[in-house]
Amino acid sequence: MTLDILKERFFSLVAPDLPNDWEVEEALEGLVEEDPVLVDAVLGQVPAIWPVSNSLCYNYLGQAVHALSCLPPGELGAWVNETLDRYEKGGLQAAQRFMVNVEQEFVCRLRGIAGLRFDEVRGRLLPYVRGLAGRDLDLAPAPSACTDGETIFLPREISLARGGTGNFLLYKLTASFQWAFLALGSFTPAGSLLPEDSGEEGTELPLAQYLRSLAHPELAADLYLQLETIRARAFLARELPGLMREAAPLLPSSPVRPGTGDRAGRLLADLQRCCLQGDVDVVSPAAWSRRLRRLMAPDATAAHSLGLCRDLHTLLHRDAGDYRPAVPLFFQGTFRLDLVLAARNRRRQALEERFVDTLATVLLNLPREDSGKEEEPARKQEAAGPPHPDVALVLEGGGRPEEVEQTMFLRVGNEQVAMDEELEQLAREVVDEFGFLPPRFISSAAGRAGRAVAAGETAVPPEAAEAQAPVTYDEWDHRRNGFRKNWCIMTEKEIPVTRSTFIAATLARYRGQIVRLRNQFEMMRTTERFLRRQRDGDDIDFDALVESLADSRAGLPPSDRLFVRLARDERDIAVLFLVDMSNSTQGWVGTAIKEALVLICEAMEKVGDRYGIYGFSGMRRLRCETFHIKHLEEPYGETVRQRIGSIAPQEYTRMAPAIRHMTARFAEVDARIRLLIILSDGKPEDYDDYKGEYAIEDTRHALLEARSAGIHPFCITIDHHAHEYMAHMYGAANSIFLDDVRKLPARMPEIYRVLTS
Amino acid sequence: MPAKEIRLDAHRIVDEPYYLAQGDEVRIAEVSYRCGMPLLLKGPTGCGKTRFMQYLAWKLGRPLITVSCHDDLSTSDLVGRYLIRAGEAVWMDGPLTLAVRAGAICYLDEIVEARKDTTVVIHPLADDRRELPIEKRGELLHAPPEFMLAVSYNPGYQSVLKDLKPSTRQRFVALDFEYPEPEQEAEIVQREAAIAPELARQLVRLAGMTRSLRDSGLAEGASTRLLIQAGRLVARDIPVRTACHVAITQALSDDPELLAAIDEMVSSLF
Repeated sequence: MTLDILKERFFSLVAPDLPNDWEVEEALEGLVEEDPVLVDAVLGQVPAIWPVSNSLCYNYLGQAVHALSCLPPGELGAWVNETLDRYEKGGLQAAQRFMVNVEQEFVCRLRGIAGLRFDEVRGRLLPYVRGLAGRDLDLAPAPSACTDGETIFLPREISLARGGTGNFLLYKLTASFQWAFLALGSFTPAGSLLPEDSGEEGTELPLAQYLRSLAHPELAADLYLQLETIRARAFLARELPGLMREAAPLLPSSPVRPGTGDRAGRLLADLQRCCLQGDVDVVSPAAWSRRLRRLMAPDATAAHSLGLCRDLHTLLHRDAGDYRPAVPLFFQGTFRLDLVLAARNRRRQALEERFVDTLATVLLNLPREDSGKEEEPARKQEAAGPPHPDVALVLEGGGRPEEVEQTMFLRVGNEQVAMDEELEQLAREVVDEFGFLPPRFISSAAGRAGRAVAAGETAVPPEAAEAQAPVTYDEWDHRRNGFRKNWCIMTEKEIPVTRSTFIAATLARYRGQIVRLRNQFEMMRTTERFLRRQRDGDDIDFDALVESLADSRAGLPPSDRLFVRLARDERDIAVLFLVDMSNSTQGWVGTAIKEALVLICEAMEKVGDRYGIYGFSGMRRLRCETFHIKHLEEPYGETVRQRIGSIAPQEYTRMAPAIRHMTARFAEVDARIRLLIILSDGKPEDYDDYKGEYAIEDTRHALLEARSAGIHPFCITIDHHAHEYMAHMYGAANSIFLDDVRKLPARMPEIYRVLTS
Repeated sequence: MPAKEIRLDAHRIVDEPYYLAQGDEVRIAEVSYRCGMPLLLKGPTGCGKTRFMQYLAWKLGRPLITVSCHDDLSTSDLVGRYLIRAGEAVWMDGPLTLAVRAGAICYLDEIVEARKDTTVVIHPLADDRRELPIEKRGELLHAPPEFMLAVSYNPGYQSVLKDLKPSTRQRFVALDFEYPEPEQEAEIVQREAAIAPELARQLVRLAGMTRSLRDSGLAEGASTRLLIQAGRLVARDIPVRTACHVAITQALSDDPELLAAIDEMVSSLF
């Protein structure tokens, strides 16, 4: 229906009023694409609303389509009546709110049951989904279920079953189906039907491109969704039999909206029935059921579905002229290929960024290693253009990504350069993701290396600055397997104190938790003490001995616990907290870190372990900074609290000098256990070429130095890429990754408790 | 029969314990035994370290004396002590001394739990001296060739207090244990719990799911031992979901959300 026709009908409905032309157009725009039957129903209500309020009527026209997506068309009148009631009681805003929340406010009440909201199930469902997938999938609310490969979107509310248990089961079923689509590769079928995936940042997935190329894309997409759902259902029945058994009675036996009557509609309805019942015999042309059964075999792939989809489409598309898209079953959701593509592009972009960055670092470091100091001027000249005009990353061994046994090396000019582990790992990830190594990655890395050389040479401050430095530390250069002497200059600064309500707010917010923590920590407190009546020990327990002799004389069995032992399990622990103050901690991260510090301080006061807190940041090797928040012996009081409240993001994360500084501080401390807890939000990195493998190796070496000085380093990180380097830097059991920064305040005291008991 | 003989006989392993080799660990352990070198078994809890020791002891035909270490374990608990009985002091060998005298295998389970001053007594036994000084008696015991020392620990614990000193760990031949591959683990669970292969496979799948929850706050996933226990309950007609709930879910965590999530995995799988 065109806009003109709609306008004409609207004007006739509201006559004799003559509303503003543009207002009507705006309100009716959303209806142009809709089904005429639906539009009739929507417009049918206009005479009831218009006389009450014109603006409400425009609002209604905007919301009606959305409402009809979850409202049976017959209930539209009742819904409009309710809306008008709300308008008369609470004004326009109340009515608007009611219309927007059609599902919760009206549909659920219509069924006479309360639904289950997404927020209520997220906590329980998230570990479940991650357990299923074995990776960090996320959950998010959305109007209908779908997934983009990184996140599973679930409806904001499910109220189809009676009672919370049933609705939760349906949530779980929906999430499991979305996982099944991912596990089965529904979005990325392989096979000859599809166009070649160029691997470049596409505007369309090959699957989407293929479906669009067919005569009736909508029908094809619907068919494919149904076929994949049938396959996913069979897969889930094999993998999660308990779920399918329990969920089966809750599923309706036939689709929500029956087919439109034509062949395509009938077949789709049959397919949906098959999705619901898991029985292929309900599909009417019996010839198809054999091929459908093939989809349910364990070795069926998405290509099978696509093949069948093509054949069904060929058969049906001619008489699918007025095809109405099928209403998807709630658990199958929709295939949002655009979201999958967007997520893939995001992932690829992040990968490209990391790869280019790493390769640029490697390239930047090459000439220094090869040529030494004399050729420095030559390099400077070279820096005007790309420094390595013919860099190539060569994959050997068939060149097919499927073959694991390929070797990789970097060729610069005519020389082969060995690749470091990180770069190789990344290159393999790139090949896995794209199928090959896009040449632009290499060229942009070479370009970036060139610019960095040019910028780096001019920006380094004069060497004289070193003289002012209070402390200097060496830096580990893994490429030459030795130290760069007196390389970093470390200044210890006072944190500028700012007044804020942060501390008071935090103390109030975590009041209950602080009391509990204090109790828990008090229980960890132990001191040196004598244990009496031991079986053996350093000295004789005379009381026990006299008793025993007396017992023996009296003919009683004498005790053999006659010794005194000195138990020396005093907690002689000194701990330093080193806090990342790089600018990436801006926002939530910084707040969480500060809250965690307040909580741990409150708890530490009870256990009696000595502790200090320092922040670190800085820029370049000549300006590494640590910020004093609390020295080891300093009492915890108002000033320390204020300093914690004043922690603010500074510059970069050159972590190693700070660690070395802490090691030096620890050298003055006498304690049986010396613990260094680092709170960080990412990789060590600085403004200059201090990044990638070099930074990790330097930090790792600083940690090794700390360990050999008798210090236990431990890291709490919230960096999502942490898995790749944490174990290498800290050792497998010496770090912990928190997937949600908001958990930090609660988790940190707990981590400390586990660490030291 | 003297008392010592009786004490030792209880440690002999008569029937072959079931053990499914993961690699060449049995061969390495046997060679270490012949060369008189002590063993260090690393691995997560319930992955088969103790079972491996039982199997080894059976294979070598030696008694196995196991000491579960705890943080109050003193040197005397290991070496022995004087007990005062009826007015006179009687020397009583500790498990370690007993094992050295009898040429048995002494297995110190979870060695990191023991106090550091206690772990030091095994040092002279764990290098080529192979001797055990008993200070209180002024005696120096030389270990016979049949004696073997084995210790185990779980490197996953994150406590700084629970770590092996380098001077201790650098005496051992170290075997790294992991949870077995899914097929093998299913075979183990199926055989140990006497359950159907399909159920065993599902239990292993559940274990795999729980083991990937490390970042969600579950320090360690379900161990093979837990799977076997759950399987045994099922084999004795406990409904499978109840069995998993009591033997796996509740054993893994106290966190309500994680408990709920694991139970959801259970109810999906069974």
